[in-house]
Amino acid sequence: MAFLGRAFEKRELHDPGAVRAVFSNTWLAPLWLVARVYLGYQWILAGSHKVWGDQRWIGVDGPDGLGLKAFWDRAIAIPAQGSPAIKYDWYRTFLKYMDDNAWYHWFSWVIAVGEMTVGVLLIVGAFTGLAALVGATMNFNFMLAGSASTNPVLFILAILILLGWKVSGWIGVDRWLLPVLGTPWEPGRAVAALTHNGEGRAAPGLTPRRGPA
Amino acid sequence: MTKLTALILGVAAWAAVAGLAVVIAFNMGNKNQVLMFLPILVGVVVAWGIGEVVTERVFNDNDNKEGV
Repeated sequence: MAFLGRAFEKRELHDPGAVRAVFSNTWLAPLWLVARVYLGYQWILAGSHKVWGDQRWIGVDGPDGLGLKAFWDRAIAIPAQGSPAIKYDWYRTFLKYMDDNAWYHWFSWVIAVGEMTVGVLLIVGAFTGLAALVGATMNFNFMLAGSASTNPVLFILAILILLGWKVSGWIGVDRWLLPVLGTPWEPGRAVAALTHNGEGRAAPGLTPRRGPA
Repeated sequence: MTKLTALILGVAAWAAVAGLAVVIAFNMGNKNQVLMFLPILVGVVVAWGIGEVVTERVFNDNDNKEGV
């Protein structure tokens, strides 16, 4: 059993400089800005079709969410010939449960408002990592439901932005928001001021130093 | 008062960018995504510039004065 102890003893492995240069250094912030604004605009576009126009899901005459119900009905259907849209039975059961219980009335609001919110947050660069995570989760669910469309590309982009969460919002609100709010593992100025008798200081890991780490 | 004005200016700049993005997406859709994308990108850079040049400078100057 000693070999298990040796194999899993605590060792910290470091990322190579190139990875840190891309995902942790502010010099590539302009590239992240372009990726972020593109992704945000796609989400606002997707959300705008659901809150506005003839095909909207919410705020319609009559019950909300019938557009989402139609999407779910198509997704969970098992055709007589060919393969079904959903490959995983557990996911079909999950969607069918929501469909049978008429969850589409309120879930359509969650999706439509969620898409708009993710889009706006990505564009202004506020809570960028969190917005990218929520966006990636929505892409993942659309793909599980058998809808490819632009989802694979947007999913990859969201994952990249998520990996670069510290710098992807640098040309954005996160430039000021992250040092003030910090993270659950490293409280920022505002949180530290509340919890340490007013002795607040910026989260050191989120306050950039010159040059590579 | 200067701090408050600078903060309001910074927040208003970002709110304007959010509003601009929503207005463009709702009115223009995906007719020409490059043309729609550019004004938003410029808006973000301008808002960031306001934050960096005006708000950040006012707050840093005041913090330095308070520290002296």
